[in-house]
Amino acid sequence: MTVLELQHVSKSFAATQALKDMSLAIEPGEIHAIVGENGAGKSTLIKIMTGVHQPDRGEIRVGGVAVTLRGTQDAQGAGIAAIYQEPMVFPDLDVAENIFISNRAESAVMNWRRLYAEADLLVAKLGVKLDVRRAASGLTLAEQQTVEIARALSLNVKVLIMDEPTASLSAHEVARLLDIARALRAQGVSVIYISHRLDEIFQIADRVTVIRDGSHISTKPIAEVTPEGLVHDMVGRAIDSFAVKTEASPHGAPVLQMQGLGRAGVFRGINATVHAGEVLCFAGLVGARRTDVALALFGIAPATEGEIKIDGAPVTIRTPAEAMAHQIAYVSEDRRKMGLAMTLPIFANISLASLGKLMGLFGLINAKAETAMAETYRKQLAIKSADTRVEVGKLSGGNQQKVMLAKWLETKPRILIFDEPTRGIDVGAKAEVHNIIRTLAGQGVAVIVISSDLPEVLALADRVLVMREGTQAGLLPIEEASQERVIGLAAGHDMKGAA
Amino acid sequence: MHPQTLRILALAAALLATVLFFSTQIDGYLSERMFTRISTSAAVILPIAVGQAIVVITRNIDLSIGSTMGVVAYLTGDYLSGHPELHPVLVLCLAMGIGAGIGAINGILVAWGRVPSIIVTLGTLALLRSFLVEYSDARTITTASLPQWLVDLPQANAFSIFGIDVRVTVVLALASAVVMGLCLSRLRAARRFFAVGSNPDAAVMAGINLPMVTLLAFVLSGALAGLSGFLFLAKFGNITVVAGMGFELKSVAAVVVGGVSILGGSGSMVGVVIGTVLVDTIDNSLTRWELVSEFWRDALLGFLIMAAVTVDTFMSRQLSRLSRKES
Repeated sequence: MTVLELQHVSKSFAATQALKDMSLAIEPGEIHAIVGENGAGKSTLIKIMTGVHQPDRGEIRVGGVAVTLRGTQDAQGAGIAAIYQEPMVFPDLDVAENIFISNRAESAVMNWRRLYAEADLLVAKLGVKLDVRRAASGLTLAEQQTVEIARALSLNVKVLIMDEPTASLSAHEVARLLDIARALRAQGVSVIYISHRLDEIFQIADRVTVIRDGSHISTKPIAEVTPEGLVHDMVGRAIDSFAVKTEASPHGAPVLQMQGLGRAGVFRGINATVHAGEVLCFAGLVGARRTDVALALFGIAPATEGEIKIDGAPVTIRTPAEAMAHQIAYVSEDRRKMGLAMTLPIFANISLASLGKLMGLFGLINAKAETAMAETYRKQLAIKSADTRVEVGKLSGGNQQKVMLAKWLETKPRILIFDEPTRGIDVGAKAEVHNIIRTLAGQGVAVIVISSDLPEVLALADRVLVMREGTQAGLLPIEEASQERVIGLAAGHDMKGAA
Repeated sequence: MHPQTLRILALAAALLATVLFFSTQIDGYLSERMFTRISTSAAVILPIAVGQAIVVITRNIDLSIGSTMGVVAYLTGDYLSGHPELHPVLVLCLAMGIGAGIGAINGILVAWGRVPSIIVTLGTLALLRSFLVEYSDARTITTASLPQWLVDLPQANAFSIFGIDVRVTVVLALASAVVMGLCLSRLRAARRFFAVGSNPDAAVMAGINLPMVTLLAFVLSGALAGLSGFLFLAKFGNITVVAGMGFELKSVAAVVVGGVSILGGSGSMVGVVIGTVLVDTIDNSLTRWELVSEFWRDALLGFLIMAAVTVDTFMSRQLSRLSRKES
């Protein structure tokens, strides 16, 4: 008896067919992983299961009975809920209200005291410390996600869809999330687990389904598949998993020096030098304040202590404009909030940071040059879109990332900071982004990469700076960096010499 | 301290400072007469401010409420001249019903027509006014055609406290704020206004019926504009086609000064009440202040809106900086 079943579901948007004759059956109390490249149709699949979209053809069955899901409300009524890669919280409401906002089992009149007590209980069940009376506006991504999971739990769902739940979490939180998924399974809840991180899938999934180009490719028990086999099914061709870098690449003169860099109450004591052609990776747990160092370097939240030197000369960076004048570029983690104008077309996003160059007669923008510039990047970075007039909001995550990268590359940066460059993008696109980063370093750009993905850090870095709670826990040359060593430093005990 | 509490305290302090300032400028300012004057005038604005607040909390705006008020005042007065025997409670229902109907039109266009509320209500603001001109044929409703109880209503006392008279109209207006205030903090259904305004995408994902919540906000706003229209009719008795003109600006000022975020998602009825009283106190006091020409009143209202939003932005930035330091 299946708890949720899709039978021959198809869905098209305008000219694109997002799902083709998709069939899928979820058993009660299983963790069912779904993998596929970006654009494979995972998002559409989730939206069909949560009632956001309705299938053009085919049927959805819940507990063996055909249903029509006309919205998330219907889906929740049928016992299906989802948590997303970008958490959906209400910033002005407090944590407890965020958890119970869609809970129809609650009484019509708010009993705030009981609400807080129940929220406390749910949050405690997740093993998290969180003040449920706090407004959600100040929560970190990881905390917001906790709120979302608690919200789904409060609904007593039969099927919980997790869409890239660990994309923004670091090792510590990932482990906790996997525990939560297991606990849900033990209670008979089915978890549909969507992730690009194959190691997680092998840790927790009972079965795994591969989809490609909107079609179902395979569903197998986890014991019968190998990572290589999965990747092969996903991309339809074999792909090299990225090798760990064993020695630093040759590099040039020091470009960026941070000496005792800090920002009062946020982080302190960062000492590191980035040379031309070198990749310095910032590793650490979420909340280790790595992004804040980037924000200081880029002038968004300027440093208050210590010194930044560029080419050996001390500089002050108080605004992004000043940072850009020093040829610093920052490709941020939060594409939606800090990186891209979602309602503008691709070309306008790419040219945004370098409009000065495109100015012609009377200070008007040379539209031809602008389009040509965008077109160059579309080809060079393989941005998947018919042309550059498409709104950025309509692209997949990986392609949005490329647009953002193009914008900053056009500023011809000498210092390029990437914040979680491959968060939530698929294996194929990930390899492409890694190649771009290596190529840029090869051209003499000083690169800083902030990443919570350890294999990525070890594949890219020449040196690894590990942060813990706003301080520098260690600076390792790549030869000395291992997964164990980095995790140890990040978590608070150096395992140098330990096995 | 909770930011919202801090905001209310700051507002109360501003109100106190305003009253103290004018008491040094205007003879006999701290009198019963002045209290009655300001409280009855603020009573007309308070319901539309409450309605405007609900709409603004959902990340919309209702610019039509001045015209709605005028239409309600005129139609109700017109109907009463033909049916003077209608029971007062039914008159109130009629006024709020007409308002709710107009609000529903706004709400449907915003929620299902997907037209931005600023456009829809700017349209109905003009349309309703033109309708009123056409319908009234430039006739004026006069006190002579109204039933006696309505003409007497503005002078009717609900109760007296320390020799200060509190009018029935003031109690009616305050009741609307108290009831809506309790609903907003206590009713699960009303909490959805905040959810929708705080993050519309998340609201849809959480299974909230976004169009329905939007519609409800506009219907409430319309009904409350109906209440204001009724109070306006009672207070002035003579209703011309320009009745309620410019009240949309007053309602927005009261709401914004009262600390409701113009970006949606937050605000309290206590703030709205103090904001309304503050805006109306300044408005009324300026007409008696010899140093300033009466024509500057609108300018001051505009300035207040801008100042309130500026101070609000500044304050929330400081607060978030503070909380970041603590964590």
